[in-house]
Amino acid sequence: MELSDSVVKGLQTLADPAYMDFKSFRIFTEAAFHSLLAFPTHSVLDYPELKNIDQALLKHCHIAATTFILEGVKQNADRSTICSCLEDLRFDSERVDAFYELYQKSKTNLEKLLSSIDRCPPHITDVSWRLDYCIKNSHVHKVNQPSYLISFNTENGENTGASSELNFSCTLEQLQDLVGKMKDAAKSVERATQL
Amino acid sequence: MEEVDRILIHSLRQAGTDIDEDVQSVKQFSSELIVQAVVRCLRVIDPAVGSGLSPSLPPGMSARFRVGMSLAQACQDLGYKGEIGYQTFLYSNEPEIRSLLMFLVEKLPRESAEVSDQPAGKSALLQKAIAAQIKAQLAMPWLPPSCRLPLHRKTQSPGPCHSFRAQPLSLPYSLKVPAKKQSKEVKEYWREYLLPVTSQPSQAASVPASLLENHVSELSAAQEWENEWNSQGLLSRLTPEDYRSRKRMRLQKRIEEQLRAAAQPRPDTHNATRSTSDLSELLNSFAGATTGGDVLTKGTRFTHSEKFTFTQEPEKAAQQMAAAASALPSSHQSEEDLKAQQEAEFTALQQQLQQLSVQMEEVGGDIRQLTVSIHQVSDELKQREVHNLEKENTIKVKKQTIDLLPDAENNLIKLQSLVEASSKRVVHLASQWEKHRAPLIDEHRRLKELCSNREMESSRKLSEIKDLHDKIRQSAEEAKKKESLYKQLITEYETLPKDVSRSAYTMRILEIVGNIKKQKEEITKILSDTKELQKEINGLTGKLDRTFAVTDELVFKDAKKDESVRKSYKYLAALHENCTQLIQTIEDTGSIMREIRDLEEQIETENGKKTVSNLEKILEDYKAIRQENSALAAKIREG
Repeated sequence: MELSDSVVKGLQTLADPAYMDFKSFRIFTEAAFHSLLAFPTHSVLDYPELKNIDQALLKHCHIAATTFILEGVKQNADRSTICSCLEDLRFDSERVDAFYELYQKSKTNLEKLLSSIDRCPPHITDVSWRLDYCIKNSHVHKVNQPSYLISFNTENGENTGASSELNFSCTLEQLQDLVGKMKDAAKSVERATQL
Repeated sequence: MEEVDRILIHSLRQAGTDIDEDVQSVKQFSSELIVQAVVRCLRVIDPAVGSGLSPSLPPGMSARFRVGMSLAQACQDLGYKGEIGYQTFLYSNEPEIRSLLMFLVEKLPRESAEVSDQPAGKSALLQKAIAAQIKAQLAMPWLPPSCRLPLHRKTQSPGPCHSFRAQPLSLPYSLKVPAKKQSKEVKEYWREYLLPVTSQPSQAASVPASLLENHVSELSAAQEWENEWNSQGLLSRLTPEDYRSRKRMRLQKRIEEQLRAAAQPRPDTHNATRSTSDLSELLNSFAGATTGGDVLTKGTRFTHSEKFTFTQEPEKAAQQMAAAASALPSSHQSEEDLKAQQEAEFTALQQQLQQLSVQMEEVGGDIRQLTVSIHQVSDELKQREVHNLEKENTIKVKKQTIDLLPDAENNLIKLQSLVEASSKRVVHLASQWEKHRAPLIDEHRRLKELCSNREMESSRKLSEIKDLHDKIRQSAEEAKKKESLYKQLITEYETLPKDVSRSAYTMRILEIVGNIKKQKEEITKILSDTKELQKEINGLTGKLDRTFAVTDELVFKDAKKDESVRKSYKYLAALHENCTQLIQTIEDTGSIMREIRDLEEQIETENGKKTVSNLEKILEDYKAIRQENSALAAKIREG
């Protein structure tokens, strides 16, 4: 995991027992995880245990800790990566364990947070269709062509659970094309798994 | 042979050959299968050769023949020593095919070993992870929203989405200015008022985005600096801070020059002067924003003149304000009066202002004119003075010569002696100078040499430092690579099936070795038995010969005397002859038996070659070729 100098400096400060004892460290780490998951948090570092510490440095440490957490979750870092990284920054094993415990606990939530930075197209959950047969219209006496009215039920990620409909009509060829494309897509997904 | 066949089939499958499950030995290989296996192997061994060959046998007989020929050629090119031709593929026999396939499988590159030496790139790992994730998601059935468990929620209902929107963060540290040099106010702001970063963005979704963005930008800036420092900074022989400040100065100067060139003040328009004043402020702020920017604070003539023209106005305004304040009536008059008075005052003041500005302009014009004329006059003065000096000099010289004229000869001699004395003095001085000069020059040379030596040393050290840097980076990279490789191998090892047949293989190998040992022992036993027998036979023959000779002699002696003994001698001779004949016959029988066994073996191998079926096949193929030929001939005739 690559960390910038300022993050390294902040984490080294955190690792320093002279600057912060273990109890404060625990509270601070919890606060850092909490501040990432809860918004807005104006009183992030508002703990009596953290009052007698230089606030500017504390804020620096907060940035370093939150950045480290986010980078770890972004890269799906496992225990060994996190631990070796922290040990390189002179964290003692007690702090590493405490940190990892919290990391493990909030990892799924953090993953959700990061994966929410995305655009997701609506999911198709159901489909209904109707076949129309056009015999003639006002311009042509004899048309004799089928046309399909398709209605997709889609589930949108933006507002969970709410479904919306997507209607369109198409000719037989277009429908075949659509079905072929969908089959292709399904096959591509399956091929992607066999890497 | 079964063992060998199984290994062969396994490696052929790995090379990409489609071998049915029920094919268990090489004996069951059909011509099609053999061709396919050989082509696949060739493709793996040498793609350039293999790509020209098709893995399936064509239907036409002549085409088949050609395929067989080219395959045989390719195998021979690879270095196959055994007998090979088109018949090997079309009319196969088991041992030949086995030896050919064994040769090809041995030639197969040990891909697996090579691959595991190289760590799979990050992208490959990521792709693998993605594939695994997709697989897991595909395995999960779709559920309607109401039935979803939290487990499914992650993949099937992604929840609200936001785009990546980063906001600039205010940080309690500065990358450019060291903490000690930071001003007190900024520090206080950091300590007391700065919000924690997670509270700074306006939306919840921008918190991680902003943090990640901030981190990445810091990282990339550090990387950029590292690159620049390694490529240029080290060569400049400055400390990083010096290098930075110098670069900053350089850039500032460039910007200043550019701006100044673009905003040259036009003399009379008011707008232009305003814009230049703005620009000068801008330039000042440039200088003020940096620590090393004392270039401008010293003040150029340009800024000085700007200051003069623009500081007067505020002063004047202040005076006017004071006047207005004193003029403000302290008595309580009615408001209208006050207004009227104010207006009158206002107009008066405006008039005054206008007058003053007109005066200012006039005076300014006068000043400008006057300064121009002053310049001109001073220039003239200087020129005149220079003239004067020249003239005075010429006058002096002329005066002296005129003074010397009356007593010309004496004066000439005096002058000559003076000249001689001075020339002597010059020579003397020159010699003295030479004396002084030599050691000085030596010293200078010495110092120069020292200097160049030092320079060489320093450049050598510099290059050493560079090398070291490179080495450090390389080893760091290597370490990283190795680490990732280690991790990858561990994960691979974990995913591998634990019941590896390795132990079974070793067991079997050990068994085979044991068997071979046993056989060897038996062979040696038999050999020693044979030897013993041979020895016994030899001993017996010797004994027989000796006994026969003794008996022969004894009987021969007596035979002269006695008729019956003569008869017995005759019998003895006959017996001996018969016995040797018997032994001969037995030996012959043995050799014939051996021959028979050899022949039987030969018959077996010949039978293994499937000669009859191959012959039939050849006959059929011959017929097919004839048919093809006749068809072609008919076509030609038609054409």
